[in-house]
Amino acid sequence: MIIENKKLARDPEGETIAKELIERRGISTIKSVRSGKYLRFLVEAGKEEEALRLVEKIANELRIFNPVVHICNIRIMGESR
Amino acid sequence: MLESRVNVNLTPEEIAEAKRRLGREPNEIELGMIDVMWSEHCSYKSSKKVLEILPKSGRRVVVGPGYDSGVVDIGDGDVIAFKVESHNHPSAIDPYNGSATGVGGIIRDILCMNCRPIALLDSLRFGNPQSAHARWLFNNVVKGIADYGNRTGIPTVAGEVEFDESFEVNCLVNVACVGLGRINELTLARMDNPGDIVVLMGGDTGRDGIHGVTFASKTIREDSELERPAVQVGNPFIKKLVIEATLEAMRTGKVTAVKDLGGGGLTCALSEMSSKGGTGVDVELTNIHVREEGMTPYELLLSESQERMIFTILPESQDEVLRVFRKWEVPYSIIGKVTDTGRIVAKYRGRIVVDIPSKLLTEPPMAKRRARKISIITKKRASKPPIPMDFAKVMHHILSSPNIADMHPVYRQYDHEVGLRTILKPGDADAAVLRIIGKNKAIAVKIDCNSLHCYLDPYAGHAAAVAEAARNVTATGAKPIAVTDCCNFGNPEKPEVYWQFKEAIRGITYMLKGLGLPCVGGNVSFYNEDEESGRAVKPTTTIVMLGLIERLSLVTSMALKEVGESIILLGKTYPELGGSEYYRLIGFDGGKVPKAVASRERASIKTLAEAIRRGYVTAAHDCSKGGLAVSLAEMAIKGGLGLKVDLAYVLHTPSMRIDEILFSESSARFIVTTSEVNTAKILSLARRRGVPASKIGEVSASSYTVAMNGKILFECSVESLRESWQDAIPRLIGG
Repeated sequence: MIIENKKLARDPEGETIAKELIERRGISTIKSVRSGKYLRFLVEAGKEEEALRLVEKIANELRIFNPVVHICNIRIMGESR
Repeated sequence: MLESRVNVNLTPEEIAEAKRRLGREPNEIELGMIDVMWSEHCSYKSSKKVLEILPKSGRRVVVGPGYDSGVVDIGDGDVIAFKVESHNHPSAIDPYNGSATGVGGIIRDILCMNCRPIALLDSLRFGNPQSAHARWLFNNVVKGIADYGNRTGIPTVAGEVEFDESFEVNCLVNVACVGLGRINELTLARMDNPGDIVVLMGGDTGRDGIHGVTFASKTIREDSELERPAVQVGNPFIKKLVIEATLEAMRTGKVTAVKDLGGGGLTCALSEMSSKGGTGVDVELTNIHVREEGMTPYELLLSESQERMIFTILPESQDEVLRVFRKWEVPYSIIGKVTDTGRIVAKYRGRIVVDIPSKLLTEPPMAKRRARKISIITKKRASKPPIPMDFAKVMHHILSSPNIADMHPVYRQYDHEVGLRTILKPGDADAAVLRIIGKNKAIAVKIDCNSLHCYLDPYAGHAAAVAEAARNVTATGAKPIAVTDCCNFGNPEKPEVYWQFKEAIRGITYMLKGLGLPCVGGNVSFYNEDEESGRAVKPTTTIVMLGLIERLSLVTSMALKEVGESIILLGKTYPELGGSEYYRLIGFDGGKVPKAVASRERASIKTLAEAIRRGYVTAAHDCSKGGLAVSLAEMAIKGGLGLKVDLAYVLHTPSMRIDEILFSESSARFIVTTSEVNTAKILSLARRRGVPASKIGEVSASSYTVAMNGKILFECSVESLRESWQDAIPRLIGG
């Protein structure tokens, strides 16, 4: 699950990294940095869609992200053995 | 025209009035500006008339209401600027960023008076902690305040938290900031000199937060979560630079005025500054440094992007000021000039897109509101609840009530000492105490209200809120000197809500006049109401009290100090348990709300102040929420000492029950400790002022003991009380 601020919202952390760390070193090819949060879930599920649905459900219900400011992307990484 | 794309909240009458004053149809951009400036949030159209009754002047008042913050004189050329503001609506949908930008906004209000922000306070209200939504709001609001405050290097020194079902959807987030400055260096946010150069400094302008104020003037709907433009994300790193750059720019002597951009963005700042100075302003919007390409004039004028300030600079002198901005690496743009036209003229790529009188924006038609008294709130009951069998158990319960329990899980997240001014920290005393560095004096600050009392009796509850805040600073050794307030109410178009508001202001006015205190500013937040259920928040006007401590040796905390010292109760106890924590705990609905009588408050305050000045007092604590029993327990817990009191010595009205004596929340009372030799001296000071006072017991080693006529009623270890008090919030919130 990747959670980041919506495109129109500011991102102080990303902006600070871009400006204070990268731009200050004279690197001009990096145009912007966006920060976010990354969560990896190990889900017991029969199908991939089922795992996606489950994680999506808890993300919404437990307020792991706030739809007012965040975009939340959930992807399947693979299977565990 | 009226079928425009611009979504306005103006009434048809207001649109007609705007047209009449302008002498033509406003264009879409102008209509958007009028919409914002005539919104409740910017215009105070429902409240202005009511607020007129508040006392606003006094010997120490330097700047009263009407500017970004009130300013009072604390002697030696020093002044304190302070202001409180609500950020309820943004916090209800985005608690983290909503509370953070609340802190950001209030810091700017202090800054534009040319004062250095030295402390933050916050007053928070949430639904029942059993509710997952209330806990989510609570955790994120606190984190937002901590992250923003801590990163800007301003300590958060005091606050309060209340939990009540009425704040389930609409939490209340009131943030106050205190600043220190010099009386001869103050600036007022007004454009007085045509020809001055107008510079926009700070964060770049983006599409975030457009129409934040009209959003704040509406009730929350289900789809508020989708109102994307209302979201703002603050940047405390930039804020720190803006603070330093602003204060240094002022020192050049070339800056004539500064104002922060908050609600209403550039529109609000330009119109208020020019209207106050009787001037006008010409700006070129294309000069503004932006975050996004293709922003329209409408968006540029109404964006509420954070961390922005407007400066006016003496003509031909801008280089000196701009050099300071470059030094701190804060972006800026020269956007225009002050004029003598009385109009705001905005150009976009050289073409005039707005031409509107400043005063049209700042002098909106007042709204006519009706008030209707809410006749019966509590049922009048002849019966009383049964007397509890086990008082020790009640003590543990009441100390673990979320409205009484230790708030360290909240304030330990805040940096409360950065800046080295904090003498009394959160939890040490009834108010925070900050030293004025280099001087033998300090200030005490407190933010306070009791929403349940205010709901049950808006007049008495709010009068008591003022009195309690005054007692709070007095207990630290300060003389109360001025107040600012933050009103939080439901929809003012409802006559019952409007009645609550009027009663609140009447109650506050009564107590301020009685205590000889001015109100130097304030903020009003209406529409704190859930549209779906139609339920409004409990009426809550938080009071920020400022006190002056004339010598550092007067600073007094609440912790018990030494075994054997006398415990004195100043003030009389009445059977006033309506809205008390005790009745809330046992689920009893009834009783009288404590009545605050100005003459009694004044006498108690003067007595304690004099006792402290004479050096008699070793600890002092206001006796209110939870009553005598809880206030005593707090003093014992803080001091790590015990006490033994005998209720037979408590001065009260005849035939009061034990539980009433213990838990009544009567106003005008203090608990004071003193050495044996000074006991009689304090009692005689009280007698001279007509304050009922008596020695009720003594400080002991480790046990909290309550007796009646020498017979022990109950006894518990202070350590066990501490556990109940400290563990409650982590257990309830899961933090």
